[in-house]
Amino acid sequence: MSPHSSALLPPAFMPSDYGPALRTHVATLPSMTSVGVRELFPAMPAAVTEGDPGDLDRVRAETRAALADVDMGKIGVGDSVNILASEHGFGLMGGLPYAEMVKTIREVVVERTGCRDVRLRLAIYRGFKEADEVREHFGFDEAFDGKVKGLGPFDRGVEVDTAIGPMWLVQRAFDADHFIHAYYDDPREMYFNRLLYKSFKSFCMSYARFETRSVYHSLFGNRSGSIIPRALFDSDFVQSKYTFSSVLRTSPAGVIGIDATDDLYAIDRRITASHLATYGRMQRLFAEIGDCVAVWDGGRWGYYLHAGGVIFGVLLTNHHDSFDLDVPVVAGFMQVPGAAVNFSRNKALRGIVVNQAWVGAGIPYVTMPFTSPMYIVGDEQADLWRQDPTNPLLMDRATTVDTVEAGIEMALARGRTDKVMVFDGSYGHITCNEPMAALLRARAPEVDRVVAHELLPKWLAQRGL
Amino acid sequence: MAVIRFVAELDAGPCTGCKLCDLVCPSGAITMVDRIAVIDDPACIGCGRCVDRCPEDIMWMTERAEPIVRTVSPDEVDQGEVAALLLKAGIDANVSVCVCTLTPASEIAAAVVKGARNLDEVSAMTGMRSGCGIYCVAPAMRLLEAGGRDVSTAKGHRWYPCTLALWDVSDEARARYPDAFIDQDRAAFDPDGVFAPMEHLTKMAARPSEAELARRAGAFSTSTRKEAGA
Repeated sequence: MSPHSSALLPPAFMPSDYGPALRTHVATLPSMTSVGVRELFPAMPAAVTEGDPGDLDRVRAETRAALADVDMGKIGVGDSVNILASEHGFGLMGGLPYAEMVKTIREVVVERTGCRDVRLRLAIYRGFKEADEVREHFGFDEAFDGKVKGLGPFDRGVEVDTAIGPMWLVQRAFDADHFIHAYYDDPREMYFNRLLYKSFKSFCMSYARFETRSVYHSLFGNRSGSIIPRALFDSDFVQSKYTFSSVLRTSPAGVIGIDATDDLYAIDRRITASHLATYGRMQRLFAEIGDCVAVWDGGRWGYYLHAGGVIFGVLLTNHHDSFDLDVPVVAGFMQVPGAAVNFSRNKALRGIVVNQAWVGAGIPYVTMPFTSPMYIVGDEQADLWRQDPTNPLLMDRATTVDTVEAGIEMALARGRTDKVMVFDGSYGHITCNEPMAALLRARAPEVDRVVAHELLPKWLAQRGL
Repeated sequence: MAVIRFVAELDAGPCTGCKLCDLVCPSGAITMVDRIAVIDDPACIGCGRCVDRCPEDIMWMTERAEPIVRTVSPDEVDQGEVAALLLKAGIDANVSVCVCTLTPASEIAAAVVKGARNLDEVSAMTGMRSGCGIYCVAPAMRLLEAGGRDVSTAKGHRWYPCTLALWDVSDEARARYPDAFIDQDRAAFDPDGVFAPMEHLTKMAARPSEAELARRAGAFSTSTRKEAGA
């Protein structure tokens, strides 16, 4: 709890060269409060952790329990094994729960198989120094006896023949006899992946060259893109090295457990059913917000910062029900002819205040300040944005402010709203001001009913579940 | 169109000649001369990837005295050729291929028509890839391939040939993944049914007859969608 407000503090996050110097969290402002996810939706399952470092023993125990029945017979004593971890996992609740699962997988594999050559491969997005930051912050060199390497979309590739044609993965991800898919189930861009085989997405993103990522994003639609990661996963090359998957399971309440088996399709069905019920409620609750200002206040790219387990991008694109598969495209590169723009905006978003966030996402913030006024706190941070080649137009329109309080005040006045939601990496609760809290509490019961009785049956049926 | 405000510079003294900057440069602006990186200032599109990649930390970005503009304007090339290229590639003219610079497919196609031979040259001409450098690549390579360029060769691993699109998925693959919304998305994104598999990808899907392709070309030119440069 903050000493000056009634809000809970978000998880601590990793400092990075890709973001500004750490600032005081918005949750410490007197005007802020917290709304519990399970206060809004009491049926939401209780969490193992919301990211508190004191809970890591529970994550470790959950991982060991989940791995107990996993067949590791493919891994011989003299073999080599890559544990493939992906960078967004280190943005979940400060990253400690995911890191703990990854470390525990290694321990169990060594214990069970006698194999000593267990390496960690850290798949990052596009910052070449990001993997070094992650390995140092989470102590991976110690945990893996120094057998840690980063990999990214610009690294040397390996051609993979799939049922839909040849595509390219990153060679370093598969430079061992076997690999383990160490994943997390954050639905993240649910407006893009539509919760269609999301558990496979790493095979066309984290573990893939930029050409494959581009095919997935740019030459297929939201729905049809789901064929790409599955075709890669099912390929002879990937299957020849695949052993099992271990997935950090979440709900908006926090980490709810670990799911591990060699049957990734089974894991995906379980995750999809759970997410439609839990994240589906949050997505629809966000759609009830008619006007608001969003604040970015975390240690990742703003688009991917969480509030109540849901990323900012969901609020930005919440003009459609992301889970309704009758809608061809919610946000994406391919368009229905006549559609206005690739990434249209939720008109409820009246302004964005950037207290702290990474630059360089390459995700189209470009046009955001044209339609939603943006306020960047501090000259140092404004300079980072000014030099960000992935958002070349942003600072032509954004306003630099001295303090986050000033930014919020200006955004509320200009946006003619009184509601603030803070994307600070929180699970289990939403950091917001009192008017927003009142709205969420008032609308949640009806959202709960509509999802349970109308939307969830449709979403499940559309996915054959 | 991209407005380029920054340029990469380096302290050549400590350069080890590792070539990592060269490998990630999207516009071919870096060459190795006597095992030292040399930056061609006008060709640099300011993405900063070399600075981030350099293991010696001897590169940096400097603001240009005057921004430079990279673009291929519609009046530089025959718009009929641009439209034909887009049709062959199965890409809508108005899609923002590069969402960092908001460069539309029509401009990428215009660069190919103007003579771009490879991904580097498309990037240098349009400023595409000056942002994230990732998501715009496949459409650009598909347009290059549709224009008859050989996309299979690149220096090092600068790029690999990967131009698969929704239109190329074979009947066998559709049958294997029946819940992948292939038919539904084709209908949504191409309601006139004018796009076809690329010729080189015939191993993935049966290519329509020439007569059928001619019919589709006619439908494309008379469809309601905006054509390149319109």
